[in-house]
Amino acid sequence: MEESHYLNCKSRAQNYNPPVDLRLLDYVSIYDNNLMCAICRCPFVDPVVLSECDHVFCRDCIRQSWNSNTSYTPLGPRGDCPTCRTPAKLGPRSATSKILVNLVDELVVHCPKRDDGCKAEVRRCEVQDHVNIYCGYTVIECTDDDCTLPVRRKDAAQGCLHFGVSCLSCHKELQKWKLEAHWRSECADRRVHCDMCKSSVFYRDLEAHRKEACPAMSVSCPGKALGCTSRSKRGHAELHAKSCTFAKLAPVLLKQQERLDEQEAAQKEMSRKLEVLEGGFQNMQGILYPPGVETSQRSADNSLTPSLQERLFGSGTAESTTPTGTAAGYDWTESAVDEDAVSPAETMHTAFSSATSPRQRAAPLPPGPRPADLPEPFSSDFDIASPTGFPPPATNGGPYASPLHHLLSMHESLRDEMTRVSSALSELDGRHSMQILNENLRTREEISYLAAQTAGLQRQVHWLTSSALQRQQGRSPTPGASSSGAGGAMMDAGAGAGVEAAVGAVSTAATALRGAARMVNVGGNGSGSGTGTGMRRGTSEEGRTKL
Amino acid sequence: MAGMSSKRLQKELSKIQGTLPPGITLVSAPDLREWTMDISIIDNPIYPPHETYRMRFSFSPSYPIEAPEVVFVACTSPERKIPLHPHIYSNGIICLDLLDSQGWSPVHNVESVCISIQSMLAGNSKAERPPGDAEFVRSNRQRPRDINFLYHDPKRAFAGGIVF
Repeated sequence: MEESHYLNCKSRAQNYNPPVDLRLLDYVSIYDNNLMCAICRCPFVDPVVLSECDHVFCRDCIRQSWNSNTSYTPLGPRGDCPTCRTPAKLGPRSATSKILVNLVDELVVHCPKRDDGCKAEVRRCEVQDHVNIYCGYTVIECTDDDCTLPVRRKDAAQGCLHFGVSCLSCHKELQKWKLEAHWRSECADRRVHCDMCKSSVFYRDLEAHRKEACPAMSVSCPGKALGCTSRSKRGHAELHAKSCTFAKLAPVLLKQQERLDEQEAAQKEMSRKLEVLEGGFQNMQGILYPPGVETSQRSADNSLTPSLQERLFGSGTAESTTPTGTAAGYDWTESAVDEDAVSPAETMHTAFSSATSPRQRAAPLPPGPRPADLPEPFSSDFDIASPTGFPPPATNGGPYASPLHHLLSMHESLRDEMTRVSSALSELDGRHSMQILNENLRTREEISYLAAQTAGLQRQVHWLTSSALQRQQGRSPTPGASSSGAGGAMMDAGAGAGVEAAVGAVSTAATALRGAARMVNVGGNGSGSGTGTGMRRGTSEEGRTKL
Repeated sequence: MAGMSSKRLQKELSKIQGTLPPGITLVSAPDLREWTMDISIIDNPIYPPHETYRMRFSFSPSYPIEAPEVVFVACTSPERKIPLHPHIYSNGIICLDLLDSQGWSPVHNVESVCISIQSMLAGNSKAERPPGDAEFVRSNRQRPRDINFLYHDPKRAFAGGIVF
């Protein structure tokens, strides 16, 4: 019973601590390259000499090398020498020099539990014993009778440590016996030393420390974007920045770049807005002066022009609260006097241009070269949105505040013009409809007078016809009349036909009259809408000629 | 096994980071599985001296026993091309017995493989791709280690190629 328990413990201990692989050890001292196996690049472990070429390898290395590419050979392992490719087999143990074995066994290595904290340095031949017997970091079975869990040898004296605790730093739940290893290599809140600057930081902050704070890390000059290529340690970076012109200029230039980008974005937005506005304005112009109607309007509106001018002048004075408004009105009267024969469309143009130019002068624009590249006083082919019409953005420190201001002022003046045009348009429309209404009234009176006359005529014709018919009927009871009677009847018939023709003519005249009246009515009804004035005039003219 | 592989690669890496033969440079070794190396060929008119070729080494866990997978890679920044050689396919696969299980020996290492490839390029006199390159590049889905290359001894006169 005792014996089986002992064996159990021993086997479990073996499971906890597999035999040390000597090829994985870290050597304390530098060793001679001649003691190194060409395959594992470590000092020989159980060196073996090949039978033909005398090359030496670790026994495990040469076995693995041959096993991988040769099939089973009944005469023991054999293959090509990895170094010289001579076909060979493993030599006998006696072939391996005892001196070589002693040399590699004497090398001093770190304990394989070094990562866990064992600081022992032992000769390589004693490593296995050290781990099995002495090393405090080797895992053995708990000394407590009821517990079979593993524990480190150095902790075994403290009794059973297999109870749950939580880490003071990171509050992770774990067993007491694992706590030390946890603090050593797992806990995120443990202190570690930065490789570069030797300062102690929390493990979880190590990355950030290396990236941002570590004074030993080399960083590039803050003026790197401007062309400074120097790199210096973070600790010395300030010293460099003091002497580097680029670093001094960097914040200013960066800020300027930022502002530049902002302004460019704003300008882009403004130009888009302007484009929209201009499109709208052109649409308005198209409605105001449709190209096909202009000539007919010009001929038809000769009587209308004075009143329209009066209206426009009125609108000009109505704006006289602002100085530009008065100027506009004044300019306009002049132009109206000069260009009396010009069509109202052109008069309007002049009015707008004269109204626009003082505005533009009032905008916050610089004196000097600026007015030269100012667009022509308003004309229909002036493309506001075209970039060439504008000065370049004020990146080179131009005298005016910013292209944004310029654009804003342009925008303002455009908007003013728009409102002026729309008010003029509505007034024009009202005037027009009044005119048409007046004319319609007169025409309607004429038509009703004519209609009454026609009705009287119709009555007379009717009376004539009926009397003629009566006469005919009074004669008809004498059918057997003489040839002279027959001739008279023929004459009567001819007269009857003439009367009927007259009646037909009168009725056609009446229909024409009715048609004219209807057209006039239609014109009168439709005069409320602002457009199609030319069309309406056309119809009334037509009605007049028909009459 | 895996422990031995990483141990050996660590040793090789620390050696490579020290000194390397001229024309061979370590580009990156982010882990112990895949490294990239640059080589340039100094004395061959086929390969202008300013041109550099990039190789990718992929190590298996049984590395020194098993050969690493070595291919040329093309990239744009910095510009790296696949060198023109009758044993290098245009997808970067190298037909070299050293990289196959037949020719590999565990005593080779990254440095010696680089030197072998460098000398293979330096000794080249034909600026051409292997026969059947287009067909191979189009149809190949195998990893280099699985391709059944047929190697030839320079003393015997038949071209190296693929056995399907």
